[in-house]
Amino acid sequence: MKKMTLGALALSVASAPLTATAGGADLTVFDWSGYEDTGFFGSYMEEYNEAPSYTFFGSQEEAFTKLQSGFTADLAHPCSDAVRKWVAADLIKPLDPAKLDHWDALLPQIKEVDGIMIDGEVYMMPFEWGNTGLIYRTDKIADDAISLQLLADPAYQGKVAIPDAASSAYALAALATGNAADYTKMSDEQFQEASDYLRKVHPNVRFYWSDAGQMDQAMASGELEMGWAWNQSELNLIWNDTPAKMMRDVDKGIATWVCGYVHLKSSTASDDQVYDLLNALSAKESGKYIIESWGYPHGNAEAFEIADQELIATYGFDDVDQFFEGSLFFDAVDPALEARMLKEFERIKSGF
Amino acid sequence: MFKLRSDTSRGLTLAAPATLYVGLLVAAPLVILVAYSMWTQTYVSIDRTPTWANYREALTDPLVRHLMIRSILIAGAVTVATVLTAYPIAYFIAFRARKKTLWLLLITIPFWSSYLLRVFAWKLILGFNGVMNSALMVTGMIDEPLTFLLYNEFAVVLTLAHAWAPFAILPIYVSLQKIDPSLLEAATDLGNGAVARFLRVTLPLTIPGIIAASLIIFIPTVGDYVTPSLVGGSDGKMIANLIQVQFGAANNWPLGATLSLLAMLAVGFVALVFALGLTAAGRRIR
Repeated sequence: MKKMTLGALALSVASAPLTATAGGADLTVFDWSGYEDTGFFGSYMEEYNEAPSYTFFGSQEEAFTKLQSGFTADLAHPCSDAVRKWVAADLIKPLDPAKLDHWDALLPQIKEVDGIMIDGEVYMMPFEWGNTGLIYRTDKIADDAISLQLLADPAYQGKVAIPDAASSAYALAALATGNAADYTKMSDEQFQEASDYLRKVHPNVRFYWSDAGQMDQAMASGELEMGWAWNQSELNLIWNDTPAKMMRDVDKGIATWVCGYVHLKSSTASDDQVYDLLNALSAKESGKYIIESWGYPHGNAEAFEIADQELIATYGFDDVDQFFEGSLFFDAVDPALEARMLKEFERIKSGF
Repeated sequence: MFKLRSDTSRGLTLAAPATLYVGLLVAAPLVILVAYSMWTQTYVSIDRTPTWANYREALTDPLVRHLMIRSILIAGAVTVATVLTAYPIAYFIAFRARKKTLWLLLITIPFWSSYLLRVFAWKLILGFNGVMNSALMVTGMIDEPLTFLLYNEFAVVLTLAHAWAPFAILPIYVSLQKIDPSLLEAATDLGNGAVARFLRVTLPLTIPGIIAASLIIFIPTVGDYVTPSLVGGSDGKMIANLIQVQFGAANNWPLGATLSLLAMLAVGFVALVFALGLTAAGRRIR
């Protein structure tokens, strides 16, 4: 009896996808953990009554490796700096802007970010963006004393954290050594200056953080006084009543990143369903939600008009242009330079 | 003739599953690893022209040497610490405890929880505002939290030694359990005191257990990367962290494969020297 039930169950499970019309969960998304938040795609939920299926990655490199080894999904969520590499590896296909309902409403500056469009084709629909900057404890360091050079000050031994990611560390170093404009194509001399800076910071580093929570907790407890991190960390600290903020002065050095969704070549879901999710993600209502609940700026310019203006001012999103004009953008680094960064960063981390 | 053929075929049938198993799960991955180590990574693809370049790069790189030596030293320290602390426990269970099964069960209970969970537990204990620092601050022994507890080699050794304790206790317990009590009685009759009896009878007879325990701990801990990346900070990085970078961020599988093979060779060599040395030492004591 039991055996029969099991068999019948297996049969019905196996035949289900053949009979059912496209369910919301038939669409698979390869994403960072947390982005399965249904607030990000309200209109998709209305239409399908079911969220897409999510699989998570911890880093873009991990995602790239997994996709190259044959993992399949419909959409993925890398950042703009990875797009060129993903295109080169033949993993993603161009998007059709005509099917993106909110394409015209997206911030014009964001569409110009390298990697969103390559050779006239749109490869990424920008979703969220934000800053990587120097977060510091305002009760320990004065606003006019803070600078990127302070990270290398021997007075802060063991009080500093930077990310365990070569690209982010070198962006910091490029800003600190005045080479931000050439970050993606540093000369040997500039690369040397940046590496020397990171070597000077190394003795002060308590740990190279790989998850933001680790860094937030250490800032909150007072173990750290400065950290190179995402704006999400700043907000976590503010919500936690820790006196901390991000150095937003573009003259002192801040970086900006843009992430978004790409259409994988291994996609099996119908284009209609793929674009339904992309349109839900880029709607201004989704933007309002991510700005207010996550503290991340959204790609849709109209989202900033309908979101809580007080929060927008607190988070520094009222003057979007300053970031696009004055900050270092995490664009794709020249592959040879990227390999050098990775290699050198491993040495620096081990004290060489 | 007919019978022989049937014997042969029966033998082959019996050996086939094991051969298939070893072939698929041990030999094939190893062959792939060796092949990868002789290829070259280009931007997003692999150049399959055989070359020694990866080996040349790895063997001449002082960073690789440094991390390899540090990994072996850390794993060695973990092995010594674990075996030294495990031996008295195993001895107690084998000779003194009345409810052996209950004791063995109690020892394994913490290991029903996730390994990661136990690493995080150590982070909570050793952390800046962790259990240890809080306790010392409350009792007034220190004014500022100690920062040398976490993010260094010491934290890695401590965490690994705790994590691997049962793997040392069990083999040593088994070898102690196997000792014939009449040997100990004979030693007493022949005038040996407790210490001499332990050194001349018990210890040499448990050397196989110690070797087993040491190898079980040493070999996997050399290649551990979770523990150093969580509690090791920048001073506690090990060779496996570098290998992980090659398979992840650096996207250089060939170099990663080369480093893995070199690590395997280094571990194999050290383990062999250790096992032979300890066997010889055991013979000398006897």
